[in-house]
Amino acid sequence: MLRLNSIRELDHLREYLKEKRQNYSTTISLCGGTGCQASDSQVVAEALKTELSRQDLEEKVRLCLTGCHGFCEQGPVMVIEPGNILYCHLSPEDAFEIVYQTVINGEIIERLLYTDPISGEKYITEEDIPFYKAQDRQILSKNRKVDPCVVEDYIVSGGYSALSLVLNNGYTPERIVNQVIESGLRGRGGGGFPTGRKWLECREAPGDEKYVICNADEGDPGAYMDRCVLEGNPHLVLEGMIIGARAVGASKGYIYVRNEYPLAVEHSRVAVEQARELGLLGNNILGSPFSFDVEIARGGGAFVCGESTALMASIEGKVGEPRAKDVHTVVDGLYHKPTTLNNVETWANVPSIILNGSSWFNSRGTKGSRGTKILALTGRIRNTGLVEVPMGIPIRDVVYDIGGGSVNGNKIKAVQIGGPSGGCLPAEIFDLPVDFDILAEAGSMVGSGGMVVMDESSCMVDVARYFLEFLQDESCGKCVPCRLGIDRMLEIITDITEGRGTIGQLDLLEELAETVSETSLCGLGKTAPNPVLTTLHYFRPEYEAHIYEKRCPAGVCKELISYSIDPEKCTGCGVCLKSCAHGAISGENKQPHVINTEFCQKCGICRSECRFDAIQVI
Amino acid sequence: MQQFVNVTIDGAIIKAVKGTSVLDTAIEYGICIPHLCHIPYVSDMGACRLCIVENVVNGRSKVTTSCTLNVEDGMEIWTNTEKIRRLRKNIAELIVAQAPNSRAIQDVAVRCGVREVRYPFRNENCILCGRCVRVCEEIWQARARGFVGRGKERHVDFPFGIRPDFCKECGACIQLCPMTIPPCDGPIRDGEEYLCGKCESQLMIGEEMPLGSCSWCKLGEGFGCGRYVGVLR
Repeated sequence: MLRLNSIRELDHLREYLKEKRQNYSTTISLCGGTGCQASDSQVVAEALKTELSRQDLEEKVRLCLTGCHGFCEQGPVMVIEPGNILYCHLSPEDAFEIVYQTVINGEIIERLLYTDPISGEKYITEEDIPFYKAQDRQILSKNRKVDPCVVEDYIVSGGYSALSLVLNNGYTPERIVNQVIESGLRGRGGGGFPTGRKWLECREAPGDEKYVICNADEGDPGAYMDRCVLEGNPHLVLEGMIIGARAVGASKGYIYVRNEYPLAVEHSRVAVEQARELGLLGNNILGSPFSFDVEIARGGGAFVCGESTALMASIEGKVGEPRAKDVHTVVDGLYHKPTTLNNVETWANVPSIILNGSSWFNSRGTKGSRGTKILALTGRIRNTGLVEVPMGIPIRDVVYDIGGGSVNGNKIKAVQIGGPSGGCLPAEIFDLPVDFDILAEAGSMVGSGGMVVMDESSCMVDVARYFLEFLQDESCGKCVPCRLGIDRMLEIITDITEGRGTIGQLDLLEELAETVSETSLCGLGKTAPNPVLTTLHYFRPEYEAHIYEKRCPAGVCKELISYSIDPEKCTGCGVCLKSCAHGAISGENKQPHVINTEFCQKCGICRSECRFDAIQVI
Repeated sequence: MQQFVNVTIDGAIIKAVKGTSVLDTAIEYGICIPHLCHIPYVSDMGACRLCIVENVVNGRSKVTTSCTLNVEDGMEIWTNTEKIRRLRKNIAELIVAQAPNSRAIQDVAVRCGVREVRYPFRNENCILCGRCVRVCEEIWQARARGFVGRGKERHVDFPFGIRPDFCKECGACIQLCPMTIPPCDGPIRDGEEYLCGKCESQLMIGEEMPLGSCSWCKLGEGFGCGRYVGVLR
């Protein structure tokens, strides 16, 4: 590939590629994101390739294995242009039909269309599907257009035009910073710090050598938006970083990506190599005096390395432990040099802010939180996957309109927002908007954007215990409040779930939670008590039921429940007897069975096997 | 040449050497901030969190450790507010519950106002203050021991668990360890842990003590030291 020596050469390349692309009559965008790969989209791609070559259509039809489309639950999914037809739940056997019927004859295959689970209605295009309809996909929609390993795809779709804009004479770094400040973009990684202000502080910090870092060390359980963006569109992130480096005056950048994301590591590595070849990275980018290069740093496998100072220590080759941030990292960061660290999604927002202007970005969202946010919607709802919504959308809309409501008709009880450090918000306050400040006030946070929906079958005390367990494992152990505080909170909550709770423990728990959040060294500890504090605040009756009545209202905490068989409902079919692995069920054929509580391990298999709903949990 | 900045600690305007920490400055001027992992002339890591203070920036108060906070001109620090005392007491309680058998830790806990411990005692023999690790690395340049593992598994050990040749056997690690100070009169046995308060170095609340005096220092007055309160009765 030829090195581009000026902005004009990049424009020419784009025009040339656009013309070349017009030879294709059809484009098939098959999702190759991690979610769809898990449901064998690679095999589907191979089958399609074979089928296309068999029909001699390789010159006419472009098969593009793209990044994540977002609708992972329906994977593998594909979109066929023209017509914007969406097929889901694909299998390799469908390849012939797709090529023959849709590509050649232009007919729609009803069988592969998305069917609404409630109404049974079939939808042809993405835009019609309720899951997509309520979204505002500014970043995710770009995933569908590019093959992450083909830089030409990104250039054709208008990529790197924001970069050529800022490299023009007359576009000063100050102007970039101002534009980002005006846009109101806030960090998408969790803290929600105003990105423009961070850039300004870094720009003004003394020092010749400065760094920019992309934080792709995503570790929240159930959250994968950074992974999806970096896997699906690495050049978008890279372009954001180059612009950011230009703005703050950095000459070196790092993408710190989790090693557990092999595809993200590979794609970002390929993207950096391609960009270097094209002269979009390295010395004198596009013929301008500006030089900048990026290196990939693979994460060491610790959740805490997502914290800025721990991440920097990890890049430096030290143990990934946070340090005190009394002097901010924008002044004293990587190798004690001014450093701008932003999340993947934050960087991905930058090119469109430059291209479309800050008022374009500004027009979405609320006063304090602008733009769109990608959320990872998981839990007990119908449609799980990645959704991109304008900031300020009520939680209710995300859960019910996009998520499609409860998966099995159970009442939705709470939603856990912002990963393990976020809080659980009850259904009564689902009118709250997805907004940095308002959610923080409610005790939770937007965080990186994980959203776990829970229904009545979840015990909130158990949920708090789960997150504490996670954080206890992931705490680096450096400071006392985090290491011992979380440990003691877990001890108390375990006592409560196992029926040893006492009245005084709730106050102690609250006091301890405050101490941990106030005095911990880094963000992990400071936010660790959030699940405990919010569940205590919104679901106190559940805690009290555990303590006073020794009862788990949701029937989750094993020590507090017992299984029994309702003799009225039991038909004596014997299914439970056969399914019980512990031999705890006895009974004659056609006679009501009984559970021997001495042997019962409360695994719940009998309950899920019983067709007459005769097994009760008390 | 030494440069000076003016900081306000607990309302007193203090001329502090630029580049020093708030904790060092406070101690030099006789304002006692309880601390455990801090050793003079060794870098601070902010592990024990006992030396927390309130740092007021633009009217907003932020809790931070004074050992890692460097003095800046016009800084406003409060070391002894009700909130700080409460938080500090809770932290001390966490530490002493972990290692109730150490005289030094009991002492610090009592000074921070801990009277009873609300958690089950655990007889650990290390509270990961990192004094040994840092003194070995920074004073003796040996790096013979360091932290191993993460979270619950974190502990101090030699590289791969074997004492290396470059350990000079200087004993500095043992000398600085808060666990190796000989236990007091009534050494706590397993299952009998409590804060006795009898130990000479801890709670000298003897009848013969004149009112207002303290076996440790006058500094306890500043932050409502447990022993001091006891003396005043």
